[in-house]
Amino acid sequence: MLVSTFLVITITFVLMQLIPGDPAAVMLGTNATPEQIEQLRTTWGLNQPITVQFYRYFTNFFKGDLGESLFHRQPVLYIIGQRAETSILLGIMALLVVVGVGIPAGTISALKPNSWTDNSLLLVALAGASIPSFWLGLMLMTVVAGKLHLLPSSGFTSILATGNLANLKNLILPAFSLGFVNAALVARTSRSSMLDVLQADYITTAKAKGLSDWIVIIKHAFRNASIPIITVVSFTFASLVSGAVVTENVFALPGVGNLIVQSVLKRDYPVIQGIMMIVAVLYVVINFVTDLTYASLDPRIRYR
Amino acid sequence: MDTKGRSQDKPGRDISRSPGLIASLMKFLTKRKITLLAALILAAFLFIAATGPHISPFGADALNLSHRLQGPNRTHLFGTDNFGRDILSRALSGTRITLLLGLSISAFALALGLPIGMLCGFYDTFGLIVMRFVDAMMAFPAIILALSLMAILGKPGILNVIIAVGMVWAPRMVRVVYSSTLSLRENTYVEAARALGMQPSRILVRHIAINLLSPVIVQATFTFAFSIMEVAALNFLGVGIPPYIASWGGMMNEGRTYIIRAPWIILFPGIFLALAVLSFNLLGDALRDRLDPKLRRIM
Repeated sequence: MLVSTFLVITITFVLMQLIPGDPAAVMLGTNATPEQIEQLRTTWGLNQPITVQFYRYFTNFFKGDLGESLFHRQPVLYIIGQRAETSILLGIMALLVVVGVGIPAGTISALKPNSWTDNSLLLVALAGASIPSFWLGLMLMTVVAGKLHLLPSSGFTSILATGNLANLKNLILPAFSLGFVNAALVARTSRSSMLDVLQADYITTAKAKGLSDWIVIIKHAFRNASIPIITVVSFTFASLVSGAVVTENVFALPGVGNLIVQSVLKRDYPVIQGIMMIVAVLYVVINFVTDLTYASLDPRIRYR
Repeated sequence: MDTKGRSQDKPGRDISRSPGLIASLMKFLTKRKITLLAALILAAFLFIAATGPHISPFGADALNLSHRLQGPNRTHLFGTDNFGRDILSRALSGTRITLLLGLSISAFALALGLPIGMLCGFYDTFGLIVMRFVDAMMAFPAIILALSLMAILGKPGILNVIIAVGMVWAPRMVRVVYSSTLSLRENTYVEAARALGMQPSRILVRHIAINLLSPVIVQATFTFAFSIMEVAALNFLGVGIPPYIASWGGMMNEGRTYIIRAPWIILFPGIFLALAVLSFNLLGDALRDRLDPKLRRIM
């Protein structure tokens, strides 16, 4: 995990070195005098050798110093922190959709393979995996918010600041459009994983000793089928983050995803770099936690 | 040993087996109705991309302000946008650029992924180091990496989109090639070739590369599907190809202001995109089942 974190930071550093032009000149704009640029280069340590720059960059990351936004003139970490609430809530709600829809759908399919229910669920899952989440979001927005006026169409106000839980309503449509695509993927994995397990001898034994179907499914089958399912759910983190970028943009949510889009349009490199690093390190941590979960689910897996 | 001899040792690995390429291709396509459907959709897209402006009723950029924001009707089957441009014509014109970008990105990922993956799988130390970087590259969620690369590369443009999205999918191609090479190099025929004193470069090309064909084709099909979706997302966010080129993602972006008044501006390009992605996904699934029998049981 430490090696991966180090590599992720290195890759971000290398990518940022590839930006054409001088960051100091970019920040000060076209009217800057060479003296001003030179001064800023000294403050930022851009005059020093690349190894020294890398060392500073690396230690700063662990001190929580991700630099300052060129556009907002505020620390990057502060800006990201302000947007984090929306993204975290959206992510949790989308994950609920993924798990709450995907796993039951896949399990139901696996119980009656090739039945009418199974085939139609598979078809929906297949379509779901091919529909762009932003398109689904826009269509839901038109129908549910625009025509039926059931839910708000866009925007979100902080719950932490206002204490108003009803604001969560604004996240229902985004969470659904974001989660649906991944739910399709989880449903497919749950189905194949459950199908595999349901053919095992111990399932026959459990049924033969007279256990009810539900106990067999939950206690015997699901636990053994859960490792591939958990793997896919942890993979959905990356795809949820990707989806969230576009979904937040569609629904005009003040989240980190929208922040990176704005930063790309404004060429606000420190913010882009900060988001890249935080998201990638989060991904590494989640993978690590997933690996630990395997061991607790399956006693045969041990890490030394 | 010729190709035919080897494919008889391993039945079901090579499409060009005895009945002839066309016959077995037809058998592959008609075996399942859904594969046939996917192939037909793809053929339709290819036809649209090839004939381009000749079959569309209007020019993709032909303005007609008196016809602006019309719903689907007889003259404009899919309606018009805020400049009175015909949505059908624009969606048809977007097909060519979508397929070209998908193809270029898959080719880019392949050009990087095949050699790097093969070398990593063949030389342990090299593989150990490079694969750590490849894995770290995969820690960046696709769109975040693509967006950042677009920002680093500078202006929106076709070439930059190919590089940005290609760099996202190349590590995944490396992974597939790497793990296939690892298992291929354990085969007796590779050992035999080594014992005969064959050059490693010759083994890589003659014995490994040839057998990598199936996993690489399958992965390239999925890369195609994912990359056209990602390109559409970039265009939708306004950081992809320049807005004056009609693209499905760009059309959806332009339609956002009029979403309540004229939802058809977004509806139809979205359907085109979903159909294209769906058909590539279906084809990828079918190819994987056909070329890699080990996975057939699961899917």
